[in-house]
Amino acid sequence: MVTKMPEGEAEPVSLVTIKEPVDLIRLSVDERIYVKMRHDRELRGRLHAFDQHLNMVLGEAEETITTIEVDEETFEEVYKTTKRTIPMLFVRGDGVILVSPPSTTS
Amino acid sequence: MNSFPPRTATLLYELDKKLMVLLRDGRTLIGYLRSVDQYANLLLQQTVERIHVGKKFGDIPRGVFLVRGENVVLLGEIDALKEADQMFERVSIGDILALQKQEQDAKIEKAKSIERSLKRRGMRFPPDLVQDDFL
Amino acid sequence: MVPTYCKFVIFNKIVRLTSKMLFYSFFKTLVGHEIIVELKNDICVTGRLHSVDQFLNIKLIEVCVSDPEKYPYMNYISESFIRGSVVRYVQLPVNSVDSQLLQDAARKEITIR
Repeated sequence: MVTKMPEGEAEPVSLVTIKEPVDLIRLSVDERIYVKMRHDRELRGRLHAFDQHLNMVLGEAEETITTIEVDEETFEEVYKTTKRTIPMLFVRGDGVILVSPPSTTS
Repeated sequence: MNSFPPRTATLLYELDKKLMVLLRDGRTLIGYLRSVDQYANLLLQQTVERIHVGKKFGDIPRGVFLVRGENVVLLGEIDALKEADQMFERVSIGDILALQKQEQDAKIEKAKSIERSLKRRGMRFPPDLVQDDFL
Repeated sequence: MVPTYCKFVIFNKIVRLTSKMLFYSFFKTLVGHEIIVELKNDICVTGRLHSVDQFLNIKLIEVCVSDPEKYPYMNYISESFIRGSVVRYVQLPVNSVDSQLLQDAARKEITIR
């Protein structure tokens, strides 16, 4: 998604380009994004704000937690997902694994 | 020293107060805060380590502690009204350590039995059941 | 006359500086409101935001936990200093958050360019 400049032309300062990874996130402000978090947590929500640590504020954030439970008798692994919605959520950046912009978020 | 900006979180108000400090490994310390810095490194005096098992608790005297800030989860001034022993039953150090060991052994035994059975079936113990949330 | 490229770099630095403080400033606007701080060890602490600092350490008053039986030591305290690094989420009061202002602040680098 990097905007290419014709060779030899000075780069217009006003143009929105992706110079570094967080610029991608800047373009996703006010869009619904997908965030994969540590410890098998996922978030989907509207991005209101972020900073360079990937601290974020998400609106209408839907969190999905996947847990493995082991049945004590059969010892079978059961994957369980729990979901909850939080109207306005601050997410601390150190738990973020990846952020995906809206075009690839269902 | 009283010129720090308002609405800014600072531990200066907590100096010389009796605090409960929760550490990342789950231990709780109770002591008087004598010094603090920007990393939330804490110097605690007359510290005791308080162990809770169910409704019972016991204190182990620990003396002076310097706690490295990154190991602090949260802390708060002990509310004199709330600390009253009537909420929980105080038992001896020996008793509380025995109770704690029972509790831990039960947990370890359960985890081991699951691990053994999974191993027999060629599966790995789910690493997410291991408490590594703070790593 | 500063070359365009240098100007860009200078602007970038200024904006970085402000965006560094974005959430610190944001939390300061929420002082006095009730929030739920969810820690990385799964404790959920509810309380009124008393103060915050640049590390996003949080001080809460009138604290209570969702599962007091599990965390008996939380009964001793009614105020709490929470180290920013152990926070996973903070649930915010939706009506006290100006999402338009937040978005503008987050986009600032674009508008300046």
